[in-house]
Amino acid sequence: MRWALTAHGASRGAALGRARLRLPHALHVDEQRIEDVEGEVSRLHAAIDSVREEMHTLRERLHGALVQEVGEFLDLHALLLDDPELLHGLDQLIRNDHYSADYALRLQRDRIAGVFGTMDDAYLRSRIDDIDQVIGRIHAALHSCDAELQGASGDILVAHDIAPAELAQLQSQGVLAVVTAAGSALSHSAILARSLHLPLIVGAADALLKINNGDVLVVDGGTGLIVREPRASDLREHRARLKEEARERKQLNRLRRVPSRTRDGADIKLWANAESLQDVAEAHALGSAGIGLYRTEFLFLQRNELPDEDEQFRAYRDVVLSMTGRPVTIRTLDLGADKADHTGLTLRDEPNPALGLRGIRLSLAHEALFVTQLRAIVRASGYGQVRILLPMISNREEVLTARDLLKRTTRDLRSEGYEIADFIALGAMIEVPAAAIALPGFITAVDFISIGTNDLMQYLLAADRNNEALGELYTPLHPAMLRLLHDVIRTAHRRDKPVAVCGEMAGDAALVPLLLALGLEELSLHPTTLLEVRRAIRDCDFAQLRAAVTKLLRCPDRAGIERWLGTVAVG
Amino acid sequence: MLERELIVSNRLGLHARATARLVQALAPFQCNATLSAKGREVNAKSIMGVMLLAAGTGTPVVLRVDGKDEAAAMDAVVALFERRFDEDA
Repeated sequence: MRWALTAHGASRGAALGRARLRLPHALHVDEQRIEDVEGEVSRLHAAIDSVREEMHTLRERLHGALVQEVGEFLDLHALLLDDPELLHGLDQLIRNDHYSADYALRLQRDRIAGVFGTMDDAYLRSRIDDIDQVIGRIHAALHSCDAELQGASGDILVAHDIAPAELAQLQSQGVLAVVTAAGSALSHSAILARSLHLPLIVGAADALLKINNGDVLVVDGGTGLIVREPRASDLREHRARLKEEARERKQLNRLRRVPSRTRDGADIKLWANAESLQDVAEAHALGSAGIGLYRTEFLFLQRNELPDEDEQFRAYRDVVLSMTGRPVTIRTLDLGADKADHTGLTLRDEPNPALGLRGIRLSLAHEALFVTQLRAIVRASGYGQVRILLPMISNREEVLTARDLLKRTTRDLRSEGYEIADFIALGAMIEVPAAAIALPGFITAVDFISIGTNDLMQYLLAADRNNEALGELYTPLHPAMLRLLHDVIRTAHRRDKPVAVCGEMAGDAALVPLLLALGLEELSLHPTTLLEVRRAIRDCDFAQLRAAVTKLLRCPDRAGIERWLGTVAVG
Repeated sequence: MLERELIVSNRLGLHARATARLVQALAPFQCNATLSAKGREVNAKSIMGVMLLAAGTGTPVVLRVDGKDEAAAMDAVVALFERRFDEDA
């Protein structure tokens, strides 16, 4: 029978397919006994082997930012999967008690959860989530061995929740869309889904109860609509949505060659955030002004030694060459203790890495590391326009120290005979609230600034974006955030310093009017959303928005800001 | 069988990362290894087991290794404790 629900759309796109359910990790398996003990043990071990294989493949597929986000938990999961206590316990439950592998998994899980539940340390207590995920995957593997569940092409996955690592894998299996009961549109998974163009709907609380394996579903990741067993009219609407998507893609493609100019003729600079040469090529093809944020962490990750100057130089030079004269903003290493495993850097574990030795703090504490990177960047400046961006700046001294080192490095390289640019702009990321507030005191020490809204939001609102319990607390639509952005942009403009926003916020076409109203004339965003943002810019009237900023800054709450956005939205 | 008391002296104690290092360090050895603290003994090759010890910094733990390559295994673990699980630069 038809059943429909509107949840939260987290990644756009329409899909029509069959539901494939993944039950939550808390296993609901009834007691089952088996006869063929050895067969059951080998069935279990085949499942464990396939999970091990799956994790191995997944690790190989990871690159760039995903290595940091996903790599560490994969390591932990790999060790859990080989844990002798876990395995021995499972074997015993099958051999001694003749339980099925499924029921043994459940018993073992509950037993472990019981012990973990009594621990005082909240951090260790929450490791049960990792154990649940590992056991859940073994359980899933037990069943994908059964023929009828093999092959997921054309499926729409319905699950309690989804990890970022799983999304990439699902897409390669041909899964069309994902619906989760939990989750938020701001999670890493949602960000990844958008960059993979995989439709994702989150917060569909009833989905697991109402949808059965094999049900036909129509979903729309834009509006969050889910329809089970669609009627003719639903199918008609789905086809209309597909047509609309195709039309939009065509229209967006036409925007590749037009300027990012508002209706009243203000040119907005659209920079691209990039990490791989693929991103860079796309940024170039889409007509971006340049690279506004080139992340360098990937050069350091998943290896046990540091990249030397020549290796870094070649990477930076290639980006500079690919942009054919357009500026490339290279951000110096932005790592912290939470991301430094397998980097060749040995860092002290920190109880609170978000507030620890990271970004510029780490670079200044390891001067040789920093100077090596500066040398590589400065050498690349002989091949095109290069700008240097310093992450996690919190005070003036850090900027001055970095500038001194840059000066010294440039002088050394010149005397060594390298051809380097006459001028290399040095900029600061504004992502620590203290830097945003104290900016008038050091704006003259930098050549440009870039506002990292992801971290700025996290620190300003004291809200971790990955903590789903916080729901909508992590949002740019907070009066404090808007006022701070407004102040930072005004401070920069008064001193004629270019200022860009380079967080997720810049890539959200719906927020374009808000950013322009705050006075922003430069945005740096991932190439995937560049054309949508350009289209939004072309619909804006810059002068009118600037005039509406007083009203915007007077909004006392999120609802007020949303109303403001509603009044300025175009047709 | 060899036995030795070690003090957990890295800052976070035997949390997930240090535990992972310990389990990885013992993995190449054939011998049995147990760790005991606070009246509980666990398999030192089990990440779950060692996490369950919840041995914070300053906790004395006793490592017992038993098997052909016990001496080498003991050396590897002692070195790891002395390096504070590589947490210090």
